[in-house]
Amino acid sequence: MEIKFIGEHLLPGQLGNFFVLLSFVFSILATVSFLAAAKNPLENSWLKLAQLSFRIHSISVIGIIVTLFIMIMNHYFEYQYVWQHSSKILPMRYMLSCFWEGQEGSFLLWSFWHVILGNIVLKISDSFQAPVMTVVSSVQVFLSSMLLGVFIFDYRIGSNPFLLLREHPEFSNLPFTKVANYLENLDGRGLNPLLQNYWMTIHPPTLFLGFALTLIPFAYAIAGLWKRDLHSWLKPALPWTFVCIAILGTGILMGGAWAYESLSFGGFWAWDPVENASLVPWLTLVGAGHLMLINKNKGSSLLSVFLLTCLTFILILYSTFLTRSGILGNTSVHAFTDLGMSGQLLIYLLCYVFLSFFLLIKNRKAFKSDDKEESIFSREFWMFVGALILLISAFQIIFSTSIPVINKIFSSNLAPPAKPIEHYNSWQVPIAILICLLIAFTQFLKYKSTNSKEFFKSLSFSFFISLGLAMLFIWQLELTKPFYAALLFTSLFSCISNLDYFVKKVKNKLYKGGASIAHIGISMLLLGALISTSKSEVISRNTSGLDVSKLGKDFNNAENILLRIGDTLKMGPYYVAFKGKTQEGLNHYFQVDYFSKQESGKLKFEFALKPFVQTNPKMGNAAEPDTRHYWNKDVYTHITYADLSQLKGEEESGQDYKNTTNHSIATGDTIFTANSIVILDALFKDVKKEQFNLSDSDIAVGAKIRVIDVKSQVRYAYPIFVISGNLTNSISSKIDALGLKFDFTGLNPETGKVDIVVAEKEDAASKFIVMKAIIFPYINLLWMGCLIMIIGTMMAVVGRLKKS
Amino acid sequence: MKKIHIITIVLIACTIGVILATVSDSSTYANFAEAKKNQDEVFHVVGKLNKEKAMEFNPEIDANLFSFYLIDNTGLETKVIYNGSKPQDFERSEQIVITGKYHGDQFYADKILMKCPSKYNNGQTEIEVASNSK
Repeated sequence: MEIKFIGEHLLPGQLGNFFVLLSFVFSILATVSFLAAAKNPLENSWLKLAQLSFRIHSISVIGIIVTLFIMIMNHYFEYQYVWQHSSKILPMRYMLSCFWEGQEGSFLLWSFWHVILGNIVLKISDSFQAPVMTVVSSVQVFLSSMLLGVFIFDYRIGSNPFLLLREHPEFSNLPFTKVANYLENLDGRGLNPLLQNYWMTIHPPTLFLGFALTLIPFAYAIAGLWKRDLHSWLKPALPWTFVCIAILGTGILMGGAWAYESLSFGGFWAWDPVENASLVPWLTLVGAGHLMLINKNKGSSLLSVFLLTCLTFILILYSTFLTRSGILGNTSVHAFTDLGMSGQLLIYLLCYVFLSFFLLIKNRKAFKSDDKEESIFSREFWMFVGALILLISAFQIIFSTSIPVINKIFSSNLAPPAKPIEHYNSWQVPIAILICLLIAFTQFLKYKSTNSKEFFKSLSFSFFISLGLAMLFIWQLELTKPFYAALLFTSLFSCISNLDYFVKKVKNKLYKGGASIAHIGISMLLLGALISTSKSEVISRNTSGLDVSKLGKDFNNAENILLRIGDTLKMGPYYVAFKGKTQEGLNHYFQVDYFSKQESGKLKFEFALKPFVQTNPKMGNAAEPDTRHYWNKDVYTHITYADLSQLKGEEESGQDYKNTTNHSIATGDTIFTANSIVILDALFKDVKKEQFNLSDSDIAVGAKIRVIDVKSQVRYAYPIFVISGNLTNSISSKIDALGLKFDFTGLNPETGKVDIVVAEKEDAASKFIVMKAIIFPYINLLWMGCLIMIIGTMMAVVGRLKKS
Repeated sequence: MKKIHIITIVLIACTIGVILATVSDSSTYANFAEAKKNQDEVFHVVGKLNKEKAMEFNPEIDANLFSFYLIDNTGLETKVIYNGSKPQDFERSEQIVITGKYHGDQFYADKILMKCPSKYNNGQTEIEVASNSK
């Protein structure tokens, strides 16, 4: 019998599906008619039809987004996407993050930016419009198909975000979906706590705008090859390329900022496959942009311009394939899981690989090699070398990241490098040294040829200043590794020489100044990355506990410290105290106070950090760090372990004394408990027997026990040992403030030792956290460098657009 | 010789260098039997947590020592010693990838990668437990 489900909203889903279909159909129509328009440039009707189709496609993409968003906002949990990525308790500000948490939503985001950019291209409307838009529309065909969710025989094409939960192949067997009024009590599974962060609201749109922007230079390059007009496409493509460099760069670095602020690996970059996959196209794009500049000024390096421009877009597709096909499997922290679309993604990738190759080979005769040698004192020579170095850098990163793909193709069994950071740095640090060196001097060279004397003269000023500064810094920072020292010098050199160039040579020419500023930015970024990572210091080194270093040199990285409530421990330059826990919704905040020691020996409160653990019943627990920012350093604090069982019923626990320890001690001996030092001061015989209801025949001995807590406060306990006839007994003495109980259970007249039993209250002993703290020096240089680089690049773009 | 030739040679050399370096830096996936044979060599082992046997983590004694029993894909079980805190939600993991080496009768891991059910998407997710960051 059919169940009549109560309270379902089926209209939005139908509307959404209608838009999905519409966007797919009209992307095909747009592709075909733009193609026809490109072939028949004289006939205006094809172009008109194509433009109309693309506009309808645009409206339907926006329609899908609005529909899905309305469903999320209204908590329509009958839809699988809404159920899976949002929940009722989720704050408003994270609704956007829900939208792009899933693969379908992120495809939509990507598609959205393509639509926006496509419409800008339509507005600009140069002679390349039809061929460029053919490429853009064809990409939209692929992206729209990712949302179709229709079956062709047994193969499902795309994954539809408007599927009902009870119809979803994976969840339709959930028992509650068989109940007619299942919606009454249904709540969504919610958003991953790690993504509930403001960076996650701005990082994905920026990154996807960067991804989308790589399509435009690529489409222009393809248009140029196709129309056999190998030069004039560069002029419109150039500003797009540099806007893309700025935006994609921002997106990647925002990802770094998110990782630094809210992930627990302690740093902004970990050479994770997903991070690498977005960095690599940026590197080739920077290479392509600089080659375009060479070509524009000198007309050479044409083939390399095409190669790198096409490669950039292909690498974007390859990254998409890597992160969304599930192939990264065991190697990545935050890759998407397989939605059964890997075949589709692979076709998408291969299609554009073949298209690029085909057109390049077809035009091979046009790329005549230039017999003229370039002068070693020319700007274009070193810019070309720089682009090649970037290509090597990109190749090294993507090759190592592709180990799972290599395994799949050659059915080998390689695992990623056991020490990824060392592996990547061993290549990328020398590359960064070379790149900085090139950035430092290339601006001082002119195109074609330069007077060498003049060149060395104008460069020597910044060379010697930065050499002096570098030596000072190397000495100050105690940089011992030669490669790090070299990078420190070259990054300073490129920073100062570009500043010098900006001051001396750039006179009100904004677009030239933009380049210098962008170069200063990237040098600062590398300098900040170098200092903050090479001199980062884990201050939470374990000072007590078992010695595990005997297990080999890899095993001395004891980076976590145990902090009991009320304790104050020395940690690096600070003293830290765990003050307690507060709860806000699902988040459990652990307050850690940092103190510094004054000369007088007193502790001065510096700041409090509140790292938290989110206990999400549906998603599991997630810990988020908290960081104190100073202008010259960051103090990063992260909970690695907190006994979460104590989080639940904290107040009722700890009624009983649990940790009992027996000690046989003499007067003057010391015992340590979790929270205090215990000293047996003396034994005494003048026990007031009547007070304890003892008869005169009983023998009673008291122990005077001094208890010193962590704040050096002294308390006393007086347990009494009683012998009445053959029986011995103890009258215990408690110190409630410390949760301690003392029993005097035996006396050995020969040795003079007494038996003392110490019992500790469970809660006093177990309220603790295990945390990790790292100091990152001068990390602000990195963030400042990012900002300056982006501002500089945008200045260059604006300057160039104004000039033309 | 033209400059372009020198550049080509350097480029080819770098390419070969990258490939060789990647292969030599990469470790291998192995099961416990293979790892045991090649003591003190770094391997990645994929397996499941044995939930029957006790996990040991006593932060009050040592916050940087955690041990558990892992059953690899061939069904072999070994005690794993991890030099760090017990990862959040460790019990919930479905699959674990550990990186480290055999020494004596135990496996010493310096990196744990867990896959937990239903964290990100409907499928699985991976949580990397930070190894030494330097």
